[in-house]
Amino acid sequence: MAGETAADFTPILYMLGFGLVASVPALILSRLLSPRRRYNPVKFLPMECGQMPTGEGRSHFMMQYYAYILMFVVFDVMSIFLYAWGSALFNIPRTATLPIIAFLGIMFAAMGYALYLAGRKGIW
Amino acid sequence: MASYIESFRFGEFIGSVLWLVFWILIIFSLVGLPLLFIVLFYVPLPPLGDEPLTPYLFLTMIVDPTRTIPIIKYMIHTDLFRVAAFPGFTYAALFAAVTIFVERKFLAKMQLRYGPLYVGKIEGWLQLAADGLKLISKEIIVPAAADKPIFWAAPIAFVSVAAAAAALIPVAPGWVVADIDVGIIAVFAIFGFFPLIALLFSWASNSKYPFIGGLRALHQIIAFEIPFIISALSVVILAGTLNLTGIVESQIASYWFVFFLPISAFVFYLSSLAELERIPFDLPEAESEIVAGWITETSGMIYGLIQLGTYLKLYALAALFVVLFLGGWSGPIIFPQEIIPGYTGEKIYNPVTLSAIFWFTIKTFGVIMLMLLPRGISPRIRIDILLHTGWYKLIVLSFINMFVALALIYGGILGPEGLLVR
Repeated sequence: MAGETAADFTPILYMLGFGLVASVPALILSRLLSPRRRYNPVKFLPMECGQMPTGEGRSHFMMQYYAYILMFVVFDVMSIFLYAWGSALFNIPRTATLPIIAFLGIMFAAMGYALYLAGRKGIW
Repeated sequence: MASYIESFRFGEFIGSVLWLVFWILIIFSLVGLPLLFIVLFYVPLPPLGDEPLTPYLFLTMIVDPTRTIPIIKYMIHTDLFRVAAFPGFTYAALFAAVTIFVERKFLAKMQLRYGPLYVGKIEGWLQLAADGLKLISKEIIVPAAADKPIFWAAPIAFVSVAAAAAALIPVAPGWVVADIDVGIIAVFAIFGFFPLIALLFSWASNSKYPFIGGLRALHQIIAFEIPFIISALSVVILAGTLNLTGIVESQIASYWFVFFLPISAFVFYLSSLAELERIPFDLPEAESEIVAGWITETSGMIYGLIQLGTYLKLYALAALFVVLFLGGWSGPIIFPQEIIPGYTGEKIYNPVTLSAIFWFTIKTFGVIMLMLLPRGISPRIRIDILLHTGWYKLIVLSFINMFVALALIYGGILGPEGLLVR
């Protein structure tokens, strides 16, 4: 696990760039080949199963699972902390596992309470 | 409304294709060939054995193909070849193409249908090319009130990000586009972009069904992100490294991790299905509820690019499953040392690498078939059941297997003293 520089990550950027190089010409070619008929304004309306669309496209509506998004923000960070411990497990003394177990205990208690609250109706 | 339909002339279509071919030929001969010769004359190219590559040598190579072996060897070890062809884009895209075709035939056979039948003499094998031609020649309809730059950029970003995820997968010893120390965390980081792209695209199309689908995609991928990450954690604990090549090598030194971590493998498989938005977790694209979810407003090549990106993602996840649990490229060497008996020239190929690629491809294809299977046999589940499965059950299951792995290590069964040789 020697240190690595940012230059080691450049092949990922090359691959990202190759994805661009492969997909942009496809769109341009499609634009060249395909017909463009613009005289019928109805077909540029949003899709609403054949009805004339009513109201805003980006409406406010109740998404009842907001609590899970909040939980994700906390427990995603927890899981990345666990990676720092797990990748070095063979190189650290066994007693170093105890604080991690304590950390997990605290997080499990928090997660249980959060899941209990997320399951309750009427407060979200 | 019949007056809106214009008659389609096949001759005009062929004519426009020929017109494009004509221009490509003109531009190639006026710009491409001079550029090629400028490169050959003025840019210092690698020496081939004892002589530098001159235009004269380049022309003799066309006549005598065996002289091209060194330059081919040089070419396939450049970054460009890796990115464009072998462990990179073309390999993944070939996987995607084969998967699309096999999925259609496989699901049809499961449901006692025929599947694609007419294009191509044998089992409709040219169906994919026909579909590609159809998609590329269809009109792209952008909704009037859409956010046009994001609407055009999101499919491109989807394909590029899926390709970047495929860049981290090691296919054979030494054959990986980006061999970095924190490989598995980089994979998770790249997969974190997909709900963002889905949400941006659904917001940009300014329509109701895509917006609902985009929010569903966000919820679903977030709910399964944590089981996804935790189930790979037990692999990291056993392998002791975050590098994907290192994980495969530690499995070759001992046993495949699927034998020690079956629950983690199962959780990883289910979470990959959810990340891919496949049945039974295809709520973001539920046809019977919200038309087509966040891809409702796509048409033509935009839809084609999103499909390509989805199948590149499927390849990346199946290959990641193989790397983490099924021992990557491990397997017996089945190719002979030389193709031509008694040939004593320049070494043409490496049997170890070739069998590694063979085993990796076979295993990845098997996992892809396993991921296609639920589409034929399973119904879609409700969103609260989905969130309940992700948050309450799969997280607990993945932690259980992590604790089992810890107990095995501290009990001395696995680890340096036990089965895992290091």
